[in-house]
Amino acid sequence: MEEVVKVESLTKAYGALPAIDHVSLSVKRGTAFGLLGANGAGKSTTIECILGTKRADSGNVSVLTLDPRKDRRRLFQKVGVQFQECDYQPEIKVSELCEETACLYKSPVDWRELCEQFGIGDKTGSPVKSLSDGERQRLFIVLALIPKPQVVFLDELTTGLDARARRGVWKILKELKDGGLTIFLTSHFMDEVEALCDEICILQKGRAVFYGTVAQAKEKSGCENFEDAYLKLSGEGIE
Amino acid sequence: MKTFCALLKNELKLNIRNMNMVIFAIILPLVVLVILGFLYGTNPAAGGTDYTFLEQSISAQCAISICAGGLMGLPLVVAEYRERKVLKRFQVTPISPGILLAVEFLIYVLYALVSLIALLLVSGLAWDVHLRGTWVSFAGSWLLTVLSTLSIGMMVGGIAKNTKSASVIACVLYFPMLIFSGATLPFEVMPEIVQKVIRVFPVTQGIQLMKSAFLGLSVEHFTLPILVMLAVALACSGIAVKYFKWE
Repeated sequence: MEEVVKVESLTKAYGALPAIDHVSLSVKRGTAFGLLGANGAGKSTTIECILGTKRADSGNVSVLTLDPRKDRRRLFQKVGVQFQECDYQPEIKVSELCEETACLYKSPVDWRELCEQFGIGDKTGSPVKSLSDGERQRLFIVLALIPKPQVVFLDELTTGLDARARRGVWKILKELKDGGLTIFLTSHFMDEVEALCDEICILQKGRAVFYGTVAQAKEKSGCENFEDAYLKLSGEGIE
Repeated sequence: MKTFCALLKNELKLNIRNMNMVIFAIILPLVVLVILGFLYGTNPAAGGTDYTFLEQSISAQCAISICAGGLMGLPLVVAEYRERKVLKRFQVTPISPGILLAVEFLIYVLYALVSLIALLLVSGLAWDVHLRGTWVSFAGSWLLTVLSTLSIGMMVGGIAKNTKSASVIACVLYFPMLIFSGATLPFEVMPEIVQKVIRVFPVTQGIQLMKSAFLGLSVEHFTLPILVMLAVALACSGIAVKYFKWE
């Protein structure tokens, strides 16, 4: 199967502090990949180096066979991104933010429909700053999907969402994945990872300490429960 | 083109909603004009001139809005978008930095244009101010002043480290240019030594050029300032695009 995201031996340090250390991974078309680890393990740095918003010290990255730094404008026609730190103009309304995003792409999807799907259809006239945390999080997932992307990067996917909204988001993402969308996500919720991800990679202090499927993680750690397995493998468990 | 228009519409709406520029670039110059209008009316500028004081100073009021947009509005909005990581969101989309800067640039050109039209209308209707030179040379000198001043601002916004340093640089450029370039206090009333110093501001040269063009005086001795302003506009916008930082 075609590799949509390919990372080889990616390394980046902030000064003397290594943030990611020789991380390699590959994500196939139509699958979901979860990058896991504690805060500060290097998840966001990895995503930013893959997207080219940070320059890696060494290693190779290709997304849809393109180099994100050299072919930025071509690549991001086909890639949607939701960053962990959400950002918008101070006075902007939901509809304006969606329009402004949609106008950047050649064939965007109907953002009103997406807002409906994600349960914020009645909020399009409101200022973004007046939304609740959960609504804003859903809005930023909508923005990542507006380009009709082939691959979407979601950093801390459902932080701030209530249980029902999370289920709703998972359902939509699963449908999109069945339609061929490739998903790259980070999350702190292991139920979410188990529900969505075909493959995972666990980072610990910038190194990949586990790479495989959820079932393999359970098997390797000897734990029935995936969260227990994650804690054991990532070295976070208190024994 | 579709992208450019949609962004322009959106960003312009946001900018007007913010109101700062409406006050400093459109209302403020009109207030200065009205005060001068009541003080001087249709009096001649000085003994023996056939143009009025207001006709002589209208170019300076045009420059108030150019300074506000170019040296305050533009650098601050670019720096703020970078600091709030709005630009980072744009970085992971197909937009080119040049288009983004051009949209913000054009917004402040529009403010300056609206201010120019308002000033000409009000001064023309109330105090019979009218153009004594040709439209082409006045429009050309206005455009040159706008381009050179705004490109300085765009460069500051493009290379400043954060909003704070952008606003410090903006203040250092804006207030001296606003007060001493002749935009608010008439250039003619300043002591000769001050006049010599402030001649280096591109805005000062722009005002003098616009004034001569408006009054229909000879603009031949402006060849050097025109070339300098063109060079400033090209160099600063080149630097702004080349050294543009998303983050």
